[in-house]
This record gives sequence, C-alpha cells and structure tokens, in this order.
Amino acid sequence: MTEIISIRKPLNPDADSDVESSDEEMLEASLAPKNNNQSIVTPGELITEDPIWMRGHGTYYLDERTYSSVAGTISKVNKLLSVLPLRGRYQPETGDHVVGRITEVGPKRWKVDIGARQDAVLMLGSVNLPGGVLRRKSESDELQMRNFLKEGDLLNAEVQSIFQDGSASLHTRSLKYGKLRNGYFVKVPSSLIIRQKNHLHELPGSITIIIGVNGYIWISKTLYQKSLSSTTGNNALDSTVSSAGAKGNSYTPGQGSVSITRLEEESSWEIYSDKNEPISVATKDTIARYANCVKALAKCDIGITETRIVAAYEASMVYENAGLLLDEETMRSIGEDVLNRERMRG
Amino acid sequence: MFKIALSPAERSYLHESLSCSSPIRPDARLYKQFRPLEATCSFLPGSNGSARIRMADGAECLASVKAKVVSLQLNNADATQQLQNLIEVDLDINGIRDDSNLSSTIASSLKGSLVKHVPLDKLRLTHRYAFKLFIDIVVLSHSSVYPLTLLSLATYMALKSTKLPLLTSTVDDREIEEQPMFSDDWESSIALFGDSSLSPPLLFVVAVVNDNIFIDPSPEEESVSENGICLTYANGKIISPLQTISLSPKDNTGINAAQILKAHALVKEIGPLVTKSLDEIVSDDSVKTIF
Repeated sequence: MTEIISIRKPLNPDADSDVESSDEEMLEASLAPKNNNQSIVTPGELITEDPIWMRGHGTYYLDERTYSSVAGTISKVNKLLSVLPLRGRYQPETGDHVVGRITEVGPKRWKVDIGARQDAVLMLGSVNLPGGVLRRKSESDELQMRNFLKEGDLLNAEVQSIFQDGSASLHTRSLKYGKLRNGYFVKVPSSLIIRQKNHLHELPGSITIIIGVNGYIWISKTLYQKSLSSTTGNNALDSTVSSAGAKGNSYTPGQGSVSITRLEEESSWEIYSDKNEPISVATKDTIARYANCVKALAKCDIGITETRIVAAYEASMVYENAGLLLDEETMRSIGEDVLNRERMRG
Repeated sequence: MFKIALSPAERSYLHESLSCSSPIRPDARLYKQFRPLEATCSFLPGSNGSARIRMADGAECLASVKAKVVSLQLNNADATQQLQNLIEVDLDINGIRDDSNLSSTIASSLKGSLVKHVPLDKLRLTHRYAFKLFIDIVVLSHSSVYPLTLLSLATYMALKSTKLPLLTSTVDDREIEEQPMFSDDWESSIALFGDSSLSPPLLFVVAVVNDNIFIDPSPEEESVSENGICLTYANGKIISPLQTISLSPKDNTGINAAQILKAHALVKEIGPLVTKSLDEIVSDDSVKTIF
C-alpha cells in the first residue's frame, strides 16, 4: 500500500558537479552577453550597452549599460526596454477580476489581501449595500461594516483603479462580485494566470470557478436558484424570504412596489451571508478534485485557464482516489497529458 | 506559528466535509494518507547521522545526531540515571522561542521516549567511558501548529542512519584507566540500530473532527478540528506519551474513548508502513560515505 505515505528522495541530491558546470556556463554567458535573442535574463545580467533604450521596469543602469534587476523575459515596446519577471508578487491592473481576503476593517474602508505588494483598499462606497443600489452610505453603515465583511472573509472584486504607490482600489458594484460562499479556496502563483475576458467559469460537475487574476482561485458549487431569481426577478425567491413574500401574494398594484423593494432588501442581505447552501458529498469530492488539478497545473508551471483545468480534470479521472494527485509524479503526468491534448488539438 | 484566517463560510464548509460519515479532506486525501514527503539522510558531513525531510508546501526539518565520548562517574550509584543522560535533545522550531512551553514540552517528551527506545548498551564503551548522543533538530519552516509528525520522522531517520566508530582499545578498564581508541576505518563502523530489536519512536498527530480522525492534518484541517491527539508508535506498539493537544484556538470539545481507540487503531495500522518506507530511504542513503 503506497497510498498511505509516499516519501521520495530529492531530485538532485548530489548537484555538486552540475553547479560547477553551470557556473562556467554563466561565466561564458557574462563574457558574451551581446546575444539579444535570448529571451530570459537573470538579475544583474547585461541586457544592452546601447544607450538609446529607455529603461523600464525590472532594469537598472550603470555606466550607460542596462542590466536586468529581475529574472524574467525582455519586453521591448518601441524604445522602452523592460523585463517582465517570471515570478513575483501580483501587480494589479485596472479591470482585473481578483479574489481577496479581508485583513483589516478601517474607517470607511476594508483592507484586502490580494497577494500584491500592498493590501488593496475596498471603500465602503464601492460595495453594494443591502437595500438597493441607490442608497447613501449613512453613519450606521459605517458602524456595522463588520456585518457586511469582516476579517478573514473572502470576496471577489474588480480592480477599480491603481493608486500612485501601486496599491489597488477595488469595487464590488456588480452582482457577480461580492462575498464568496459554498466552496474552497486555492492559491497559485499569479504569474500562471492568463488575463482573459471572463474569469468566472462553469465547469462540468456543476462547479463554478473564479480564477482571480492575482492567483487566488475559488472553486464552489454552482447555484442555479440564485441566478434564476436574479434573472426572473423577485417571483422565484427561495423559502427564506417566502414569509415576507406571503404578504406580497395578495398585493394590490398600489402596494406592490413597496413589497418588492422590501423583498429586494431582504435578498440583498443574503449576499453577505456566512451560511453555506447544502452541498452534497459528491460535489465536495469534485471540488477537492478540481483543487488538486489546479495545484497540479501550478506544479507543472502551466498557465491556468478554464480549458486546461477541465482537461486536467478529465485526465485525473484515471485516478479513482483524487488524493493521489498530490504525488509529484502524478502531477507531472497530468501536466503532460494536458499539454499533449492541446498539441493534438493544434 | 502561522495563523490562518478562514472565512466563516470556508470554515463551515471544511468542518462539514470533514465531519460527515464519509469525510472528504480538502485535498481529497484518505483519512490515513500522508501528504507527499521528500527525504534524504546521511548528508551532514560532521555528524554521525542526519536526515532532512520536506513537505510539498515548503515545511522542512533537519535532524542531526552527533556522538561524543564522555566519562562516566564511577562513584555514582545511580547507573540508570547516568545512562539516561547519554541522550540530549535540542530543538529549534522556527518562529517559536527555544524556551517556550511548546518546544520544551516537545523536547522533553521526545527525550523521554528516546531513552526507552535507543539501545543504551551500545553507547556504553567501557566501564569508564560512553558515547553521549546529541540530537539536534531544526524545524526550518512549517505551517502547522504542532510540527511533531515532521519532526519525529526526521529524528527517526537521523537515528536510524547513525553510525558509531568501532572501538579498538580494550573494553575492560576497571583496573587501568585507558583512553578509548577507535578504528579509522568508517567501513567498520557500527550502526546504532543495526541489529537491535529496538527502533526509534515515531510521533503522530491526528486531528479529530466529530467522530472522524485524520492523520497528518494540513493547516486548514487543523484550524477546523475540535481536538488533536498525539500518539507515539514504536516497535509495532503504541507507547506513551499519548496526549491530547489543541490544534485550533477555538471550539475545543472533549474527547471520547471511541476517538482515542480509532486513533490508536489508525496509528497501529499505518505505523509499520511508515517505518518501512522510512527504512527504505535510510538503507538507500546508507551507502553514502560521509567522513
């Protein structure tokens, strides 16, 4: 039974001989650095001696020569030379769909950990509050900010703007943003996430996934009722508000508008609920499997997209016990499988 | 120690999936399945035995065993006490003060169980001299509240790979005092646990959620667990210390006999498998020459 524990030896236990040779190679490389075709540079590596280039992010210069300050790929836009780091903290950009965790509740704002250098800011004015969209933020809202979002809460949001110091300001002014429930959180390096039009996907097995651009991923159960109620209006509300809706059943056209706003108010509170819907064992199993697939893709340094996650999920079906996916060799084989499928498709 | 903040929804999701009758761990492991490990041993040049063990999440532990010749005081009547002093455990957990309650408790309980399970007669060189073992354990980084499992796995491997030089001078020095001399040949060294029926103890931490128990809990699982049990396993048996530990700061409930029995049975089942796979690594690495 190798299922209980898997211990393997480090991949390069005696790297002594390799280190020497790579040192020599590096020496050679530094002697002949003029090869601008090589796309990957390391910190301190000479990029160019030509002074016409403008120096962008990830570079520094000494004596008219431009060096790289990070490990990454060279990018040239007109005369601007910059190095895009391979790894590193997430750099927010306006419009990014991110997943974050509240770290601090402050005056009229929440601090949100989005994996960037600084915590992002979510202003009280940039969230949807219960009781309709067009509502002024009152002092009582300021006092009960912890009733909406508190430390540790997960939410998905959009980057509204970037401050001068590079920190982000978020907003959740849309139905698709807000507090997260009914699922499980996975973190991967943000460099693996490819910016796309849509970061919220529905996956086979009635799973919804939010691939935050910052590498924070939320895998949850798909809620059909919720989307139904939001599209068809307030008629199809669930049992929690049906007691309030009982009045509305016998409403007259004059009173109708009142009861509808009242219902809206109650359903709006739901967006800040901490209670999960009932989730079946099978769904939880699927969520765990998807989480392991995401980790496997991250382990293989494969960019994470919806199609690749689905491909990895399908490839993982070979293993009945999804816990086996934690094994490094299994992760590699899944990664290879995903890449092979992509190649086959062309 | 790391505090992980979970939202109430995540917490209830995790707790619910761990506490139902067919529990699902967040990483889909079986209740008796460990996270994958990476281990090597006999790699520190200056020590008699050493081991390094890593987890995929970056948790890492190093253990080293060094032997030093010490003279025994002959006039002292309490010989067993003296023999017990032949093992010294020093523990350093990153992020936790050396004199903190946690690390001193772990160190003393580790020492207590090691004394019983290290062949002390092999440490005794002559009437006057003996080897003293200095066991240094460094937990470089860890994410769990009690890095005990990691720590004891590393200690086990370090002790199993420990080799002591062969004594060439006379064994009997009752009459004439003589400095012990050792063979230069490392090939002829004796493995501390070579032909011994004893084996170093292993400590396992299991998390308790409702009626379910889980081996090797991840930080998330720890934070939603109601209780933790630390069990010691050696030579196919569960031995003392067996203690409850609190893995999460809140909602600790009492523990019942059924949970302890379950944990007992679990460790008894997995113990041989864990020792077997650790021994494989040790025997693989034992061919390496250090000195």
